[in-house]
Amino acid sequence: MHRIGLWASLVEAVTEIWQSRELLGQLASRDIRIRYKQAVMGFGWAILMPILIVGAGLVVRMVLSQSAGVASDAVSLGAMAAKGVGWAFFAGALGFATASLTSNMALVSKIYFPREVLPLSAVAAQGFDTLIGSAALAIVLPFLGVRATPALLWIPVLALTLLVLTAASALFLSCANLFYRDVKYIVQLLLTFGIFFTPVLIDPVMLGEQGAKLIMLNPVAPILEGLRIVLQEGQGLLQPLVETTRSGVEVVVWQPWYLLYSMVWAFGGLLGSILLFHRLEFVFAEYL
Amino acid sequence: MTAPAVSASISFERVWKKFRTGEMHDSLRDLIPAIGRRLFKRSPDPIRRREGEFWALRDVSFDVQPGEVLGIIGGNGAGKSTALKILTKILRPTAGQASVRGRIGALIEISAGFHQDLTGRENVFLQGSIMGMPVALIRRKFDEIVEFAGLEKFIDTPVKRYSSGMNARLGFAIAAHLDPEVLIIDEVLAVGDFRFQDKAFGRIRDMSRSGIPVVLVSHQLDRVATLCTKALLLHQGQVMCQGPVAECIDAYLSGGTSLSAPSHPDSPIVLGAIRILQGETLQWGQQADLELEAVIPGRNREAFDSIGLRFRALEGSREVFMTSTRFADIRLPDHGKVRVLVSIRMCLPAGTYSMEPFAWRPGEDTIIATGPISTCHVGRAHSTLNRGIVDLEPRLAVSTLSDGAAPE
Repeated sequence: MHRIGLWASLVEAVTEIWQSRELLGQLASRDIRIRYKQAVMGFGWAILMPILIVGAGLVVRMVLSQSAGVASDAVSLGAMAAKGVGWAFFAGALGFATASLTSNMALVSKIYFPREVLPLSAVAAQGFDTLIGSAALAIVLPFLGVRATPALLWIPVLALTLLVLTAASALFLSCANLFYRDVKYIVQLLLTFGIFFTPVLIDPVMLGEQGAKLIMLNPVAPILEGLRIVLQEGQGLLQPLVETTRSGVEVVVWQPWYLLYSMVWAFGGLLGSILLFHRLEFVFAEYL
Repeated sequence: MTAPAVSASISFERVWKKFRTGEMHDSLRDLIPAIGRRLFKRSPDPIRRREGEFWALRDVSFDVQPGEVLGIIGGNGAGKSTALKILTKILRPTAGQASVRGRIGALIEISAGFHQDLTGRENVFLQGSIMGMPVALIRRKFDEIVEFAGLEKFIDTPVKRYSSGMNARLGFAIAAHLDPEVLIIDEVLAVGDFRFQDKAFGRIRDMSRSGIPVVLVSHQLDRVATLCTKALLLHQGQVMCQGPVAECIDAYLSGGTSLSAPSHPDSPIVLGAIRILQGETLQWGQQADLELEAVIPGRNREAFDSIGLRFRALEGSREVFMTSTRFADIRLPDHGKVRVLVSIRMCLPAGTYSMEPFAWRPGEDTIIATGPISTCHVGRAHSTLNRGIVDLEPRLAVSTLSDGAAPE
């Protein structure tokens, strides 16, 4: 194993990834073509997931409004659809990325190229679906009462944070799955149940004072909650937000540093996972 | 230690590579109990951990300069592929230094990146990118690639409907249009039909003649002999011979059987190596005497009825000539040491051949025993312009049939 400094190793990895951007594009376009080539639904796939999530959310909200008495209006449905698109991106990308190294075994053991492009291209391919979903959403949201406010400028920041967090997790999990083949089952399990620990169908205010804080430990939570706040409340993310449940309890649903917390996870995680991946990729061929 | 190289070059300095062969924990389900055991037992029996080690390369050094073509030969498991994987950065050496200066073009597993559901066209771009070609270059060379593969009509057909030959041809065509500064080739000459093989071989020769360093691994020894300027013979990860191509091929061919298990002690016949009384190098048309000795212990005498010898061209599979005592209707003695003398006139084209003695089962063309392989060189004095497996001693004449006016 070559002993080079962390910084040099990071620079090397990033340079290699940058130099392989065309390959990344080709691999992503391969995944996209295959996904749409034989699919009955065609591009419908891209909006199916968010629609299902909104459907599930409606059911959850109806139940909640019966018992806890939380209002659900058109705007909050729109915000929920946006969170659904975000969650579908995260879950879908990790689902594909985790197995990306092991399912391209022939390539990894025979041809040299920076292996980072495999999980990253899985993320990029999922990103394509998400773009279609987002475009559809952008058409629908104004009709649901989402107003154009300066707060919407936060969306690119939130999207970038989600993208970086997803890329970091994709690199880490694909690498882990190469060494321990059952990681992909664990990831599937976590993604299936993760929706209950992420504010997608529910809003933090429904969880009460403690629950609203606890759920923010999940690094995906502030990103999705931030999305809801800018769309539904039209409020920027630099000020705290307090919401009141119908029973009169005040719940702090947003603190400005929540987003910072997610960003630390995302960017710190990306650096860490690039380093880990780059250090280990030279033994990949021996473990396949 | 090394001279500063300005241009592309390949070097291997005392490279060792170790693999683990034992079972590895490849799931968390196995790992977690293993960690538990280790925590409680403290000694994870070190002997069991060490038994699964295996050195694929042991102290291998070579270098290839521009214009040189190095052929790596050796039997299965000799370490050839490991050496190439280290050159292409797929594996890292356990010890030693491997360095390649210049953009690598690797003709290894040339269709590994193909996706069966995509069309030939889509796969050209995909595989080209995987091999490191910029998309602009692929676009520029696209027509050339398709034409080289001879797949103009099928380029928009999904690859899953291709025959294996079409697959291989497309893969080779893409790889052959990389613009490498260093070329690494692993056993890709044996793709497609013979027409395509010749074309592929010609392409590699052109690339190597353009003055870039080339490393080639092949079992087709005749190709190695034609293409390479030097060779390296590996056996069980060690360098057995290094230097002139002919020397390494000789060492490989003659080492082949002596390195493997000696003939069974209960063998009904023990055959010795064939010796040419006039020396190892013959000229075309020369009379030569071949001598073959065998010991017949007398046990199991009915197992064979004749002994003979065969010549093979370099690739080790193509039999070019074979004779046996059966053809001369000679009955062999029941036991004792025998000497067979075969007088031949050497009519094979120039090149290197392997000679192998064998014994035949009575009444059948089934070989029950073989002896050590030795080599025979046929010089280029005559017959230099004829090629092929045999020399048909052609005499050529050309006569004018008309005055050269184009036919209507």
